Amino acid sequence: MAASTIPFKLITPTKVVFEGDAELVIAVTTEGEEGILPHHAPFLAALKPGILRANVLADGKNERLELATGEGFMQALPDRLTILVDEALHFDDIDVAKTRDDLANATDPAAIEFANAKLRLVGSH
Amino acid sequence: MPSVKDLRERIRSLKNTQQITKAMKQVAAAKIRRAEAAQKQARPYADTLAEMLRDLMNAVSTVDHPFMKPGNASAPMGVILMTADKGLAGAFNSNVIRAGELFAREQKEVAWYTVGIKARNAVRRMGKPNHPTWVLNAPSKIDVARAVAKQVTDDFIGGKISGITMISSKLITMMVQRPETRQMVPIVADALRAKGDAGEAESHAPKGSVEFAPSPEFVLSRLLPKYLEFTIFSAMLETDAAFFAAQLLAMNNATDNAGKLIDELTIQMNNARQAAITKELLEIVGGAEALVNG
Repeated sequence: MAASTIPFKLITPTKVVFEGDAELVIAVTTEGEEGILPHHAPFLAALKPGILRANVLADGKNERLELATGEGFMQALPDRLTILVDEALHFDDIDVAKTRDDLANATDPAAIEFANAKLRLVGSH
Repeated sequence: MPSVKDLRERIRSLKNTQQITKAMKQVAAAKIRRAEAAQKQARPYADTLAEMLRDLMNAVSTVDHPFMKPGNASAPMGVILMTADKGLAGAFNSNVIRAGELFAREQKEVAWYTVGIKARNAVRRMGKPNHPTWVLNAPSKIDVARAVAKQVTDDFIGGKISGITMISSKLITMMVQRPETRQMVPIVADALRAKGDAGEAESHAPKGSVEFAPSPEFVLSRLLPKYLEFTIFSAMLETDAAFFAAQLLAMNNATDNAGKLIDELTIQMNNARQAAITKELLEIVGGAEALVNG
């Protein structure tokens, strides 16, 4: 068991993507990447589309979580960490051809960033 | 009196109808479970969003966001009218549409936005064939909610509408669904604060100690459109669940009524058949007696 963890939830409008304990969560806020460790000061930030990384404990084992996420919000409280995003996709949920199409047709900056994040996530695997 | 053959025909056709209503009832019962599961999965998001909103509202004193200010007063009121796509659910859709008509009567002028084919048709009948409209039962409801939110937001900020009101169905119990009219924009700041308080009593951090990146005003300006979007989304989920509940009830009643009618007609048919037999017997007996006497 690692030194310290914080209960962590990742929520989209349609489901709870992850619920468990995290040692470290790194999300892309509008001000840049922000890493949250347990015992962080109360914190609320807007997130922009990007890649969310987290070291989590699943079934007592350390696991690395990597997801492409849409716009959202991150709330750190002394006893828990909650992230709300429009979408959160695992690397194998991403349809590369469709994402490329979306990227070609997208005009909205957030949609372009999200498509780019998805492609970066696929590329890193 | 109808003949035995006519009655038999009517009973047969009623039994077919009963089969259909029974099948629809079972389908509605299965779909209601799915609709409720979808609603349940959206709840964590709703709760967290409300909590964040409360923390933000407590942190900022004045909010400089278009949603918090009165809109263009001379423009019509924007109304999102939301029904199901299909009927066969009793008065479910017409109740919502009637609520919409009543609301429209109180307003100087109304700009309609409809979600659901029944609402679309109703507004078209009012003489608005080209209003913005979406179907409820889309493959991705959240995408529809986003499209609706974007359209009404653009129109509100562009001064085309004075506010945004949504009329949709609320599932009170499985037996009771009621139309609900709520004003969404301009947002009443006190209502949000109160809403947060009702959710969870204790505040997580004393006022001023929460760190906002980059600023509470900025985060709030991002959160308010999401809040609108999500409120529309959750109303769509609720309309779905309420629709199937209404359909279940309507189909249950239809099946019962068909059963009662079948019983009634069966008795009538038996009476008619017996009357025919009795009549024939009397004729035979009468004929036989005439032969004996003759």
